[in-house]
Amino acid sequence: MHTLAAADPAPSVFAGGSNVIALIVLLLEFGMLRQAMRRDQIRLYAVQSAAISVLAIIVAAARNLPDLYALAFCSAAIKVVVVPVVVRRLLPRPGQQGAGDEIAGSGALSVASTVLVAIVVAAFGFFAIGTLPIRSPILPITALAIAFAVVLVAFVLMILRRDVVSQAIGFFSLENGVSLAALVVAATMPLIFEVVFLFDLLVAVVVFGLLIRVHHGRAESLSTSELTSLRG
Amino acid sequence: MTLPIPLIQALQVATIAIGAPLVSGVISRVEARLQGRRGPRILQPYYDLAKLVRKEALAPEGASWVFLAAPLVACAAYLTVPLLIPVLTTYGLPLGYMGDILGGGFILSLASFVVAVAALETGSPYAQMGASRAKTFAAITEPVVLFVVFTVALLTGTDLPYVLAATVRSSAGQLVRPAHLLAAAALFMVILYETGRIPVETHTGTNEFGMIEEARPFEHSGPYFALLKWGSWMKQLILYTILVNVFVAPWGLAATARPADVGLAIVTLLAKAAGIGIVVAVIDNSFAKLRLFKITEFVAGAFLLAVLGVFTLYLGGG
Repeated sequence: MHTLAAADPAPSVFAGGSNVIALIVLLLEFGMLRQAMRRDQIRLYAVQSAAISVLAIIVAAARNLPDLYALAFCSAAIKVVVVPVVVRRLLPRPGQQGAGDEIAGSGALSVASTVLVAIVVAAFGFFAIGTLPIRSPILPITALAIAFAVVLVAFVLMILRRDVVSQAIGFFSLENGVSLAALVVAATMPLIFEVVFLFDLLVAVVVFGLLIRVHHGRAESLSTSELTSLRG
Repeated sequence: MTLPIPLIQALQVATIAIGAPLVSGVISRVEARLQGRRGPRILQPYYDLAKLVRKEALAPEGASWVFLAAPLVACAAYLTVPLLIPVLTTYGLPLGYMGDILGGGFILSLASFVVAVAALETGSPYAQMGASRAKTFAAITEPVVLFVVFTVALLTGTDLPYVLAATVRSSAGQLVRPAHLLAAAALFMVILYETGRIPVETHTGTNEFGMIEEARPFEHSGPYFALLKWGSWMKQLILYTILVNVFVAPWGLAATARPADVGLAIVTLLAKAAGIGIVVAVIDNSFAKLRLFKITEFVAGAFLLAVLGVFTLYLGGG
């Protein structure tokens, strides 16, 4: 009878579990590529931010880094509560002209092709990090590769979706990818820096919110394809 | 006292063959309950089979022997696959190494192929449409299955289902590995497609234009139709068995050849399959059927999961 044995030892439950949470972040990023409702797009971002806060709490507990509890709390307060509420407020209200248009079908490519492009880009992310000689005592390096893939897929989201909501959410979720990478390589970074980055995000939210309002006020639509007519 | 090994091997096939209608009955019962109906008896599929076997068999004019041979070949294929997968035991049975996961996949595709050929033989537009759609979408789910197999191969160094089950049992770290979870999720989506469940297809009902798998045996009747129905239930239970006993929960299998252990394994398997069936029934009731051209998006989602599984494992080292 053949022997039944594993080929290689499995990583620890902590490593596996944190990789799974990082992967959930990446899968939510892929979900944004096909989301058709702007409210759900914002909700996806809130869930993604919540996943990162959960990962920060797990790392804080497992690696004994109490700073990360504060960071997890700040980032949850800002990215799960404040940013979604502000973005939702800044969007044109229902009943206003052009407010009914949802963001379905704003992709430059079909959904399946967009996903395939994003897969190729994510593969590049995995490959690029895999060749670097980085090791982290905090989290497995797979989480860093996933974080890089999140950043790249966020770029794909911003490039291929032609509506302001997806592009703004793409930019914010790019920041989520960077936070994830920071958890892997710089979890011991001073708390003040992390908080400064978070407030930076708030500035970006206000700027994007203003852009959305101005664009909607002029074009009466959330689609950025109207901007093409501005070319000389 | 221990059971002879060939008897256990035969029991694996018998469990699938006899348990399949039961699992199907449980699913339709749960589905009906969730919709606020009383639903059929759990044993109704057996009565259906008995009724069909007693009926007269008719073939459309001009259909050749292929039309009548197809249900037999398909059934034989479905009875072969349980020899290859861990249905009841943790240890490999003598014929269990006859083929790997790909071998099992080929046998399942052979069954689906002969049913499609028989559907083409009939000349009936609905059966032909179902067969052509089934083959079209099978071609796009194929890469997903291949990537799931790659993930298994990278995890275990082989592609034998017994070895993957043993690997998953070996430690909790294996179970929460992202690649393993992604492969299991992708496989589950393929199973939803292969068993003709929502969001791909309505399992019951008469919406001919949305039909894929269900349309193919339209022209078969009597015992031949019974065989095809039984075959599709067996296929469902085989796929559920692969999902629970190889990927998700390979516990409760018999580690010895004692009759009590093997008997317990039979009960556990049917309970676990019914559990998967309940999940499928809940999905059936909480989602809408996708339009036909949206099925590619569903499969693209499954493909994404399977590919990311390979990435995290092969490039990411997770």
